[in-house]
Amino acid sequence: MAADLKFAKTHEWIRPEAGGLATVGISAYAVEALTDLVFMQLPQVGKHVKAGESIGEIESVKAVSDFYAPVSGEIVEVNTPLAGSLETLGKDPYGAGWIVRIRPDAPAEMAGLLDQAAYDALVKSQPH
Amino acid sequence: MTTLPAWWDEAADGPMNMAADEALAAAALERGSLAVRLYDWTASTLSLGAFQPLAEARAGVHGLPIVRRPSGGGAIVHGSDLTYAAALPRSHAWGGSAQSLYDALHTALVETLVHRGIPARLHGTEEGPGDATALLCFDRRAPGDVVVPRPGGQAAAKIMGSAQRRLGTTVLQHGSLLLRSNADVAPQVRHPGLADLYDVAARWQTRELVESWLGRVAAALGCRLEFQPLPFGHGREEQLARGALRFADPTWTARR
Repeated sequence: MAADLKFAKTHEWIRPEAGGLATVGISAYAVEALTDLVFMQLPQVGKHVKAGESIGEIESVKAVSDFYAPVSGEIVEVNTPLAGSLETLGKDPYGAGWIVRIRPDAPAEMAGLLDQAAYDALVKSQPH
Repeated sequence: MTTLPAWWDEAADGPMNMAADEALAAAALERGSLAVRLYDWTASTLSLGAFQPLAEARAGVHGLPIVRRPSGGGAIVHGSDLTYAAALPRSHAWGGSAQSLYDALHTALVETLVHRGIPARLHGTEEGPGDATALLCFDRRAPGDVVVPRPGGQAAAKIMGSAQRRLGTTVLQHGSLLLRSNADVAPQVRHPGLADLYDVAARWQTRELVESWLGRVAAALGCRLEFQPLPFGHGREEQLARGALRFADPTWTARR
Protein backbone atom coordinates (compact mmCIF):
# COMPACT_ATOMS: atom_id res chain seq x y z
CA MET A 1 0.00 0.00 0.00
CA ALA A 2 1.29 3.46 -0.82
CA ALA A 3 2.78 5.43 2.06
CA ASP A 4 1.11 8.61 0.88
CA LEU A 5 -2.37 7.45 1.86
CA LYS A 6 -4.21 9.05 4.73
CA PHE A 7 -7.36 7.64 6.32
CA ALA A 8 -10.50 8.95 7.95
CA LYS A 9 -11.88 7.20 11.03
CA THR A 10 -14.91 6.36 8.90
CA HIS A 11 -12.64 4.21 6.65
CA GLU A 12 -12.17 6.42 3.61
CA TRP A 13 -8.66 6.89 2.22
CA ILE A 14 -7.29 9.95 0.45
CA ARG A 15 -4.17 10.35 -1.68
CA PRO A 16 -2.73 13.72 -2.80
CA GLU A 17 -2.30 13.99 -6.55
CA ALA A 18 -0.63 16.43 -8.92
CA GLY A 19 -2.36 19.71 -9.58
CA GLY A 20 -3.73 20.16 -6.08
CA LEU A 21 -6.22 17.30 -6.40
CA ALA A 22 -6.74 14.30 -4.13
CA THR A 23 -8.19 10.87 -4.86
CA VAL A 24 -10.63 9.28 -2.42
CA GLY A 25 -11.78 5.70 -1.91
CA ILE A 26 -12.79 3.33 0.85
CA SER A 27 -10.37 1.03 2.63
CA ALA A 28 -9.96 -2.68 2.01
CA TYR A 29 -11.17 -3.28 5.58
CA ALA A 30 -14.39 -1.37 4.92
CA VAL A 31 -15.03 -3.17 1.64
CA GLU A 32 -14.48 -6.55 3.27
CA ALA A 33 -16.86 -5.65 6.11
CA LEU A 34 -19.59 -4.69 3.64
CA THR A 35 -19.58 -8.02 1.69
CA ASP A 36 -21.75 -8.85 -1.31
CA LEU A 37 -22.12 -5.35 -2.78
CA VAL A 38 -25.21 -4.76 -4.91
CA PHE A 39 -25.54 -1.03 -5.56
CA MET A 40 -23.61 2.21 -5.27
CA GLN A 41 -24.82 5.78 -5.47
CA LEU A 42 -22.08 8.19 -6.49
CA PRO A 43 -22.03 11.97 -6.05
CA GLN A 44 -22.28 14.56 -8.81
CA VAL A 45 -19.23 16.31 -10.24
CA GLY A 46 -19.14 19.92 -9.12
CA LYS A 47 -20.64 19.31 -5.71
CA HIS A 48 -18.93 21.05 -2.83
CA VAL A 49 -18.66 18.90 0.27
CA LYS A 50 -17.54 19.45 3.82
CA ALA A 51 -15.26 17.07 5.68
CA GLY A 52 -17.38 14.37 7.29
CA GLU A 53 -20.32 14.94 4.94
CA SER A 54 -21.81 11.93 3.18
CA ILE A 55 -20.75 11.83 -0.47
CA GLY A 56 -22.44 8.60 -1.46
CA GLU A 57 -23.99 5.34 -0.39
CA ILE A 58 -23.17 1.74 -0.99
CA GLU A 59 -25.54 -1.16 -0.54
CA SER A 60 -24.66 -4.72 0.29
CA VAL A 61 -27.07 -7.60 0.74
CA LYS A 62 -27.66 -6.65 4.38
CA ALA A 63 -26.85 -2.98 4.73
CA VAL A 64 -26.64 0.46 3.22
CA SER A 65 -23.57 2.41 4.29
CA ASP A 66 -22.67 6.01 3.72
CA PHE A 67 -19.19 7.03 2.76
CA TYR A 68 -17.88 10.44 3.73
CA ALA A 69 -15.64 13.19 2.44
CA PRO A 70 -12.34 12.98 4.36
CA VAL A 71 -11.67 16.67 3.62
CA SER A 72 -13.70 19.66 2.45
CA GLY A 73 -13.57 20.53 -1.22
CA GLU A 74 -15.13 20.29 -4.64
CA ILE A 75 -15.73 16.96 -6.35
CA VAL A 76 -14.05 17.29 -9.74
CA GLU A 77 -14.21 13.71 -11.02
CA VAL A 78 -16.26 10.63 -10.25
CA ASN A 79 -15.31 7.04 -11.09
CA THR A 80 -18.65 6.44 -12.77
CA PRO A 81 -17.84 2.97 -14.19
CA LEU A 82 -17.34 1.74 -10.63
CA ALA A 83 -21.11 1.60 -10.06
CA GLY A 84 -21.30 -1.04 -12.78
CA SER A 85 -18.34 -3.08 -11.58
CA LEU A 86 -18.57 -3.13 -7.80
CA GLU A 87 -16.21 -6.11 -7.62
CA THR A 88 -13.41 -3.63 -8.45
CA LEU A 89 -13.79 -2.17 -4.95
CA GLY A 90 -12.74 -5.49 -3.47
CA LYS A 91 -10.10 -6.36 -6.06
CA ASP A 92 -8.26 -3.04 -6.10
CA PRO A 93 -9.60 -0.68 -3.41
CA TYR A 94 -6.57 1.64 -3.54
CA GLY A 95 -6.26 1.70 -7.33
CA ALA A 96 -9.02 1.10 -9.85
CA GLY A 97 -11.53 1.17 -6.99
CA TRP A 98 -11.08 4.90 -6.38
CA ILE A 99 -14.38 6.74 -6.01
CA VAL A 100 -13.93 10.48 -6.47
CA ARG A 101 -11.30 13.13 -7.05
CA ILE A 102 -11.59 16.21 -4.87
CA ARG A 103 -10.02 19.63 -5.07
CA PRO A 104 -9.46 20.22 -1.33
CA ASP A 105 -10.27 23.66 0.02
CA ALA A 106 -7.29 23.42 2.35
CA PRO A 107 -4.77 20.67 1.49
CA ALA A 108 -3.36 21.01 5.00
CA GLU A 109 -6.59 19.44 6.25
CA MET A 110 -5.17 16.07 5.19
CA ALA A 111 -2.51 16.35 7.86
CA GLY A 112 -5.18 15.80 10.49
CA LEU A 113 -6.12 12.39 9.11
CA LEU A 114 -4.70 9.04 10.19
CA ASP A 115 -1.51 7.65 8.69
CA GLN A 116 -1.25 3.98 7.80
CA ALA A 117 0.00 2.87 11.23
CA ALA A 118 -2.69 4.79 13.09
CA TYR A 119 -5.37 3.45 10.77
CA ASP A 120 -4.14 -0.13 11.22
CA ALA A 121 -4.38 0.38 14.98
CA LEU A 122 -7.92 1.71 14.59
CA VAL A 123 -8.94 -1.32 12.56
CA LYS A 124 -7.46 -3.68 15.16
CA SER A 125 -9.50 -1.97 17.86
CA GLN A 126 -12.79 -2.28 15.97
CA PRO A 127 -15.44 -4.73 17.19
CA HIS A 128 -15.89 -7.68 14.85
CA MET B 1 -27.15 -4.03 36.02
CA THR B 2 -27.52 -2.06 32.80
CA THR B 3 -30.71 -2.27 30.79
CA LEU B 4 -31.79 -2.91 27.23
CA PRO B 5 -34.48 -0.27 26.67
CA ALA B 6 -37.41 -1.28 24.49
CA TRP B 7 -40.40 0.73 23.38
CA TRP B 8 -43.62 -0.89 22.23
CA ASP B 9 -45.29 1.87 20.30
CA GLU B 10 -48.80 2.47 19.04
CA ALA B 11 -49.46 2.14 15.33
CA ALA B 12 -48.24 4.98 13.14
CA ASP B 13 -47.97 5.64 9.41
CA GLY B 14 -44.83 4.91 7.40
CA PRO B 15 -43.16 8.34 7.51
CA MET B 16 -43.70 8.66 11.26
CA ASN B 17 -42.34 5.17 11.90
CA MET B 18 -39.24 5.88 9.82
CA ALA B 19 -38.70 9.19 11.59
CA ALA B 20 -38.98 7.47 14.97
CA ASP B 21 -36.44 4.84 13.93
CA GLU B 22 -34.02 7.49 12.77
CA ALA B 23 -34.41 9.19 16.15
CA LEU B 24 -33.90 5.82 17.84
CA ALA B 25 -30.44 5.63 16.24
CA ALA B 26 -29.58 9.03 17.70
CA ALA B 27 -30.90 7.95 21.10
CA ALA B 28 -28.84 4.75 21.02
CA LEU B 29 -25.72 6.74 20.23
CA GLU B 30 -26.45 9.08 23.12
CA ARG B 31 -26.98 6.13 25.48
CA GLY B 32 -23.98 4.24 24.11
CA SER B 33 -25.93 1.00 23.95
CA LEU B 34 -28.48 -1.06 22.06
CA ALA B 35 -32.06 0.26 21.97
CA VAL B 36 -35.09 -1.40 20.41
CA ARG B 37 -38.45 -0.17 19.20
CA LEU B 38 -41.37 -2.42 18.25
CA TYR B 39 -44.33 -1.06 16.40
CA ASP B 40 -47.37 -1.50 14.23
CA TRP B 41 -48.72 0.37 11.20
CA THR B 42 -51.97 2.31 10.95
CA ALA B 43 -52.62 0.57 7.61
CA SER B 44 -50.92 -2.18 5.66
CA THR B 45 -47.89 -0.48 4.11
CA LEU B 46 -45.13 -1.44 1.70
CA SER B 47 -41.72 -0.37 2.97
CA LEU B 48 -39.03 -0.20 0.31
CA GLY B 49 -35.32 -0.75 0.78
CA ALA B 50 -33.15 2.34 0.42
CA PHE B 51 -32.39 1.78 -3.26
CA GLN B 52 -35.22 -0.33 -4.58
CA PRO B 53 -36.84 1.08 -7.72
CA LEU B 54 -40.21 2.62 -6.93
CA ALA B 55 -41.68 1.62 -10.30
CA GLU B 56 -40.89 -2.04 -9.64
CA ALA B 57 -42.61 -1.80 -6.26
CA ARG B 58 -45.71 -0.20 -7.74
CA ALA B 59 -45.88 -2.88 -10.41
CA GLY B 60 -45.41 -5.69 -7.92
CA VAL B 61 -47.68 -4.69 -5.05
CA HIS B 62 -50.83 -2.71 -5.69
CA GLY B 63 -52.89 -0.44 -3.53
CA LEU B 64 -50.76 0.05 -0.45
CA PRO B 65 -49.13 3.21 0.89
CA ILE B 66 -45.39 3.12 0.21
CA VAL B 67 -42.60 4.42 2.41
CA ARG B 68 -38.91 4.19 1.66
CA ARG B 69 -36.71 3.02 4.53
CA PRO B 70 -33.23 4.39 5.15
CA SER B 71 -32.10 0.76 5.52
CA GLY B 72 -31.28 -1.65 2.71
CA GLY B 73 -32.79 -4.99 1.83
CA GLY B 74 -36.01 -5.95 0.10
CA ALA B 75 -39.52 -4.56 0.31
CA ILE B 76 -41.80 -5.67 3.13
CA VAL B 77 -45.57 -5.72 3.28
CA HIS B 78 -46.30 -4.61 6.83
CA GLY B 79 -49.56 -5.03 8.65
CA SER B 80 -49.48 -8.68 9.68
CA ASP B 81 -45.90 -8.71 10.93
CA LEU B 82 -44.04 -7.61 14.01
CA THR B 83 -41.77 -4.77 12.92
CA TYR B 84 -38.74 -3.79 14.94
CA ALA B 85 -35.95 -1.26 14.79
CA ALA B 86 -32.74 -1.84 16.72
CA ALA B 87 -29.98 0.74 16.97
CA LEU B 88 -26.56 0.89 18.53
CA PRO B 89 -23.29 2.83 18.25
CA ARG B 90 -20.81 1.37 15.77
CA SER B 91 -18.34 1.11 18.63
CA HIS B 92 -20.64 -1.43 20.32
CA ALA B 93 -19.49 -5.05 20.37
CA TRP B 94 -22.26 -5.84 17.85
CA GLY B 95 -21.60 -2.78 15.70
CA GLY B 96 -18.43 -3.84 13.90
CA SER B 97 -19.93 -5.81 11.05
CA ALA B 98 -23.44 -5.99 9.64
CA GLN B 99 -23.61 -9.67 10.47
CA SER B 100 -22.98 -9.20 14.21
CA LEU B 101 -26.23 -7.46 15.12
CA TYR B 102 -28.12 -9.45 12.52
CA ASP B 103 -26.96 -12.74 14.02
CA ALA B 104 -27.45 -11.60 17.61
CA LEU B 105 -31.13 -10.75 17.13
CA HIS B 106 -31.91 -13.62 14.80
CA THR B 107 -30.17 -16.26 16.91
CA ALA B 108 -32.13 -15.10 19.94
CA LEU B 109 -35.36 -15.49 17.98
CA VAL B 110 -34.38 -18.96 16.79
CA GLU B 111 -33.70 -19.98 20.40
CA THR B 112 -37.06 -18.57 21.46
CA LEU B 113 -38.94 -20.45 18.76
CA VAL B 114 -37.09 -23.70 19.34
CA HIS B 115 -37.85 -23.40 23.05
CA ARG B 116 -41.53 -23.16 22.06
CA GLY B 117 -41.34 -26.22 19.85
CA ILE B 118 -40.87 -24.69 16.40
CA PRO B 119 -37.72 -25.97 14.66
CA ALA B 120 -36.51 -22.59 13.44
CA ARG B 121 -32.96 -22.12 12.24
CA LEU B 122 -30.72 -19.60 10.50
CA HIS B 123 -30.44 -19.81 6.73
CA GLY B 124 -26.94 -21.15 6.09
CA THR B 125 -24.25 -19.58 3.94
CA GLU B 126 -23.89 -22.88 2.06
CA GLU B 127 -27.56 -22.73 1.06
CA GLY B 128 -26.87 -19.78 -1.20
CA PRO B 129 -28.22 -16.26 -1.26
CA GLY B 130 -31.37 -16.99 -3.24
CA ASP B 131 -32.57 -14.22 -5.53
CA ALA B 132 -30.93 -11.11 -4.07
CA THR B 133 -32.81 -8.91 -6.55
CA ALA B 134 -36.35 -10.10 -5.71
CA LEU B 135 -38.66 -7.22 -4.85
CA LEU B 136 -39.88 -8.69 -1.59
CA CYS B 137 -37.67 -9.41 1.39
CA PHE B 138 -39.48 -12.66 2.09
CA ASP B 139 -38.63 -13.93 -1.43
CA ARG B 140 -34.91 -13.34 -0.74
CA ARG B 141 -32.53 -15.45 1.30
CA ALA B 142 -29.43 -14.18 3.04
CA PRO B 143 -27.19 -16.03 5.48
CA GLY B 144 -28.68 -15.56 8.92
CA ASP B 145 -32.32 -15.13 7.88
CA VAL B 146 -34.68 -17.00 10.21
CA VAL B 147 -36.38 -19.87 8.40
CA VAL B 148 -38.72 -22.65 9.51
CA PRO B 149 -39.65 -25.94 7.85
CA ARG B 150 -43.00 -25.91 6.09
CA PRO B 151 -45.26 -28.68 7.26
CA GLY B 152 -45.36 -31.11 4.33
CA GLY B 153 -41.68 -30.93 3.57
CA GLN B 154 -41.56 -28.09 1.04
CA ALA B 155 -38.65 -25.65 1.05
CA ALA B 156 -38.16 -23.77 4.31
CA ALA B 157 -40.13 -20.55 4.76
CA LYS B 158 -38.41 -17.32 5.77
CA ILE B 159 -40.15 -15.74 8.73
CA MET B 160 -37.70 -13.02 9.74
CA GLY B 161 -35.41 -10.83 7.70
CA SER B 162 -33.51 -7.69 8.65
CA ALA B 163 -31.41 -5.03 6.98
CA GLN B 164 -29.32 -2.12 8.15
CA ARG B 165 -28.37 1.48 7.65
CA ARG B 166 -24.78 2.00 8.76
CA LEU B 167 -23.94 5.63 9.41
CA GLY B 168 -20.62 7.06 10.55
CA THR B 169 -21.22 6.43 14.23
CA THR B 170 -24.43 4.41 14.45
CA VAL B 171 -26.18 1.35 13.07
CA LEU B 172 -29.94 1.15 12.52
CA GLN B 173 -31.38 -2.26 11.82
CA HIS B 174 -34.91 -2.83 10.61
CA GLY B 175 -36.50 -6.23 10.78
CA SER B 176 -39.80 -8.00 10.34
CA LEU B 177 -41.15 -11.17 11.91
CA LEU B 178 -43.99 -12.44 9.77
CA LEU B 179 -46.78 -13.43 12.14
CA ARG B 180 -49.43 -14.29 9.56
CA SER B 181 -50.22 -13.86 5.89
CA ASN B 182 -51.45 -10.40 4.88
CA ALA B 183 -54.89 -10.46 3.24
CA ASP B 184 -54.55 -6.85 2.04
CA VAL B 185 -52.32 -7.89 -0.86
CA ALA B 186 -52.81 -10.21 -3.82
CA PRO B 187 -52.21 -13.93 -3.16
CA GLN B 188 -49.08 -14.00 -5.34
CA VAL B 189 -47.28 -11.54 -3.05
CA ARG B 190 -48.46 -13.04 0.22
CA HIS B 191 -46.14 -15.07 2.40
CA PRO B 192 -47.15 -17.47 5.14
CA GLY B 193 -46.48 -16.33 8.67
CA LEU B 194 -45.77 -18.29 11.80
CA ALA B 195 -49.46 -18.70 12.64
CA ASP B 196 -50.19 -20.02 9.13
CA LEU B 197 -47.41 -22.57 9.32
CA TYR B 198 -47.78 -23.71 12.94
CA ASP B 199 -51.13 -23.91 14.70
CA VAL B 200 -49.49 -23.49 18.06
CA ALA B 201 -48.16 -20.06 17.07
CA ALA B 202 -51.69 -18.84 16.36
CA ARG B 203 -52.39 -19.07 20.09
CA TRP B 204 -49.32 -17.16 21.24
CA GLN B 205 -49.44 -13.70 22.71
CA THR B 206 -47.07 -11.54 20.67
CA ARG B 207 -46.03 -9.63 23.77
CA GLU B 208 -44.86 -12.84 25.49
CA LEU B 209 -42.98 -13.91 22.40
CA VAL B 210 -41.20 -10.57 22.24
CA GLU B 211 -40.37 -10.58 25.94
CA SER B 212 -38.80 -14.00 25.55
CA TRP B 213 -36.92 -12.97 22.40
CA LEU B 214 -35.57 -9.65 23.64
CA GLY B 215 -34.95 -11.15 27.07
CA ARG B 216 -32.47 -13.48 25.40
CA VAL B 217 -30.89 -10.57 23.57
CA ALA B 218 -30.51 -8.71 26.85
CA ALA B 219 -29.05 -11.80 28.53
CA ALA B 220 -26.46 -12.11 25.76
CA LEU B 221 -25.40 -8.55 26.58
CA GLY B 222 -25.40 -9.20 30.31
CA CYS B 223 -28.18 -6.72 30.90
CA ARG B 224 -31.89 -6.63 31.70
CA LEU B 225 -34.73 -5.99 29.28
CA GLU B 226 -36.73 -2.95 30.32
CA PHE B 227 -39.89 -1.90 28.47
CA GLN B 228 -40.31 1.85 28.66
CA PRO B 229 -43.56 3.15 30.13
CA LEU B 230 -43.97 6.01 27.65
CA PRO B 231 -43.98 5.91 23.85
CA PHE B 232 -40.65 6.56 22.18
CA GLY B 233 -42.02 9.75 20.68
CA HIS B 234 -42.84 11.24 24.07
CA GLY B 235 -40.85 14.46 24.35
CA ARG B 236 -39.58 14.05 20.79
CA GLU B 237 -42.74 15.18 19.01
CA GLU B 238 -41.15 18.04 17.04
CA GLN B 239 -38.12 15.97 16.04
CA LEU B 240 -40.35 13.17 14.77
CA ALA B 241 -42.68 15.53 12.95
CA ARG B 242 -39.71 17.06 11.09
CA GLY B 243 -38.35 13.64 10.24
CA ALA B 244 -41.74 12.41 9.04
CA LEU B 245 -41.92 15.29 6.57
CA ARG B 246 -38.69 14.10 4.96
CA PHE B 247 -39.85 10.49 4.75
CA ALA B 248 -43.19 11.62 3.27
CA ASP B 249 -41.46 13.75 0.63
CA PRO B 250 -42.12 12.25 -2.83
CA THR B 251 -38.54 13.00 -3.88
CA TRP B 252 -37.32 10.66 -1.12
CA THR B 253 -39.77 7.92 -2.02
CA ALA B 254 -38.94 8.23 -5.73
CA ARG B 255 -35.17 8.59 -5.30
CA ARG B 256 -34.81 5.52 -7.48
